[in-house]
Amino acid sequence: MRVKIRDLVTKLKAVPRQRWAWLSAGVGGACLVFGGWWNSLPLFGIGAVSFALGALWILGWRTSRAAPAAAVAAPAAPAVVQQPRAPVAPEDTEGLVEQMLAQGRYALMLRPQVVANLSPAHRDRTRDELTEQMAFVPAGEVELGPWDEHSINPKEEDDDAHKSVYRVDAYYLDRYSVTNRQFLEFVMAGGYEQMALWDAKILPAVIDFVDQTGSLGPRYWRHGRYHEGSEDQPVIGVSWYEAMAYARWVGKRMPTDAEWVKAACWPVPLGPGSRMQRRYPWGDNMDRERANIWGSGPGRIVSVTEFGSGVSVGGVYQLVGNVWEWTASNFGAGGYGRPELVLPNPMKSVRGGAFDTYFDNQATSQFQSGENPIARRYNVGFRCALGACDVSFSDNGEAAEPEAELQEAGA
Amino acid sequence: MIKEGTLHLDSYRLASYAVQVPCYICGGGNTFDAELCRHCCAPMALAHQANTQKVRPRMVAAIGTSGVGKTVYLGMLMDMLSRMPDRLQLLARGAFSITLQQITTAALSRGEFPDKTPNEPDRWNWVHAQVRAQKQRHPVDLIMPDMAGEALLEEIEHPRSYQVIRSLLSQCGGVLLLVDASQLGSGTLEQDYFAMKLLSYLIELDEDPKTGWPSRPIALIFSKADEREDCFIDPAAFAARHASGLYRLCQERFREVQFFASGVAGSCAYRNVPKLGRVRVPLRVEPRGIIEPFEWLIGRIKS
Repeated sequence: MRVKIRDLVTKLKAVPRQRWAWLSAGVGGACLVFGGWWNSLPLFGIGAVSFALGALWILGWRTSRAAPAAAVAAPAAPAVVQQPRAPVAPEDTEGLVEQMLAQGRYALMLRPQVVANLSPAHRDRTRDELTEQMAFVPAGEVELGPWDEHSINPKEEDDDAHKSVYRVDAYYLDRYSVTNRQFLEFVMAGGYEQMALWDAKILPAVIDFVDQTGSLGPRYWRHGRYHEGSEDQPVIGVSWYEAMAYARWVGKRMPTDAEWVKAACWPVPLGPGSRMQRRYPWGDNMDRERANIWGSGPGRIVSVTEFGSGVSVGGVYQLVGNVWEWTASNFGAGGYGRPELVLPNPMKSVRGGAFDTYFDNQATSQFQSGENPIARRYNVGFRCALGACDVSFSDNGEAAEPEAELQEAGA
Repeated sequence: MIKEGTLHLDSYRLASYAVQVPCYICGGGNTFDAELCRHCCAPMALAHQANTQKVRPRMVAAIGTSGVGKTVYLGMLMDMLSRMPDRLQLLARGAFSITLQQITTAALSRGEFPDKTPNEPDRWNWVHAQVRAQKQRHPVDLIMPDMAGEALLEEIEHPRSYQVIRSLLSQCGGVLLLVDASQLGSGTLEQDYFAMKLLSYLIELDEDPKTGWPSRPIALIFSKADEREDCFIDPAAFAARHASGLYRLCQERFREVQFFASGVAGSCAYRNVPKLGRVRVPLRVEPRGIIEPFEWLIGRIKS
C-alpha cells in the first residue's frame, strides 16, 4: 500500500506544472458554474479561488515562457558601502604616511628618493609591510616554454625550439592577488580620473571601464563598490590597462612573463645551462588539494588566502588556480610556447589558470594563455611586482638587496 | 581419387542468421553479428544493449550547423559528468560510448579543437550512457549520436537522404539545438536561418500537439558564447536581439523551449594548416554552461 502511495505521489509530481494550472482553472470554472446553478455559496467560493489560482498560474507560466530567466545569473549580493578617505593636509606627514600604508602604497615610500625622509618608526613599519605583503624572488635564469612537453612531436621538432632562457633580476612579487578591498582604495582615490596613471593611447577607452551600474570600476561591481563578502577575493573584470594603472598608483608594476614563471617554477641551477624547474609551485605533480581549479574547489572564486598548501617556495599564494593573472608581456612574443599561432589582435599573456581551468596541463607554471588587453573577464585578475633595485633598505636611500632574504631563498 | 571427410553443420548459426535483429534507431532487420545497421549505419550494439535492459533507452540529439561545436559540447558534457557526478551522474554503456569524450578531451588538452565529424554515418561516434539525476530514483538510459552538421543540412534539404537522422529525430525525446553566438553577434543571419530550418524540419516530422515536437523539450544553446559575454547574462534577450526569426518561431510553435549560453574556450587564436587554411585553436579550456542545458532537458523528457 505504502509503495503504491509513493508511486502515485511520484506520478503526480511528474505531471507538468502547466497541466496542474489548466486542471485547477478547469475545475474552478466548473465549480463556479455549478455553484451558481445550485446556489451553493461554498462551491461557488471554492470554484472562484481555484479558478483564480489556475488563471494566475497559467499567466505566470506564459510570462516566464515568453522571457525565460537567464541561465547564468549575475551575482546579486548587495554592494559594499564605504566612504572615501578624508583628504590629508600636505604638511601632515604622519597622516600622509598612515593613509598611504592603509591604501597599500608602501612601495612608493620605499623609493630611494623618499625613504630617507621617513622617521625611523615609519621606515620600519613600511619595510615590515613590504616583507609581509610581498615575497622576494632572487635574481637568476629561468627557462620559458614549452607549455606542455606532450605537445611537441619528438620526431619533427627540436626540443629546444620552443624554449627560451631569460635572465631575471631580483624583484618582489605580491604574495596575494590584488583583492577587491585593495582595488576599492584605488577607485575611491579617483584612480580612474588620474590621467597620469593611464597609457595615453587608452585614455579614450577609460570612460568605458564601468561596472554593472555605469560607475567607473571593475566590470562586476555595482555603484563603484564590490559585492558584500567578496572583499578578500581577487579583483576580476579588470582589463590589462586597469591593472597597469593600479600598479602605477601603488608604486609597483606588473611582473613580466619571465618573472612570473621564475616565482612559480623556482629554478635551481644544476650546472652551466641546466636547471631544475618545478611544474607546479609546490612540486612536479598535480595535487588538486593545493589549487582552486575545475573539480578541486567550490567551482567559484575564493579568498586569496585559501589553498595555503599550494604556496610557492618563495611564499606566493595561488600562483596556480583561482584566477588567471595578467602579466606585462605580450602573448606569443619571445619565441617560446606556441609561435605558430596567428592572433586576431595583439594579446597580453595571462598565467596560472583559474577556478574553471579544466585540464591539469593548462594550470602549470609554464602554461601561457593570451587575452585581449581590453577584455574584462570574469576569471582574470592580477598581482603586482616591484624591482629590488626600486626599493631602499638603507637609511641613506641606497638601493640594496636584503641579505637575510637572499640567504633564506637559497640564492 | 575421392577423399572423404566430415563437415559439421552448425545449425545454430543458421538459426541465428534466420532471426532478424531490428536496429534500435530505424527498426530495420539485421543479422545478429552485424556491427552497423545495413539500413541506417547506426551501431547494432545499441540494439543489443537495449535488448538486455528492462527499460528502453531514450534518445537525445545535438543538432546544429557544421562547426557550431556539437562534438566539443557532447564530448565535454560526457567528460564533465563522468568526472564530477555532483549534479548528474553519467556512466557509459559499452566501450564505444567513451570514444567521443576521449577524442574531444585529447584534442582540447593539446590546444586544438577536435577534427570535423565526417558526413558518413558509419563514422559517427555514438554514446549510450546511463544518466542519474540527484533527485531521480531511477537512472535513465540515453542514446546520443554526434552527427555531422553537413549531413543534417543535406537531410533537411533532401528529406530521406539520411535515414538515420530522420529515424533518430522522429524518436528523440528532446534536442539540444546549438547556434553559434559569435556569428549571430557579428550580424550574420545564416545561423538564424539554419536553426529555423531545423526546427521546421522537426515540426514536419511530428506535429502532434500532445506527443509531437510542439510539446517536446528543446534546449537552444548559444555556443561559443565566451566571445559574447552579454549572451551569458540573458540568453533569451540575446536571441530576441540577434535571432529574432528563431525567437519568434520558438514562441509560436514550441511549448518547451529554454535558451542557454555555453562556451568551452576562454580565448581563441588561429593556426594556418596546409589545405585547411586558418583553423581556430583554443588558448585555454574553461567550460561554462555545459551541464545546465542537459540537466534541464533530462528533467523534461517524457518517459
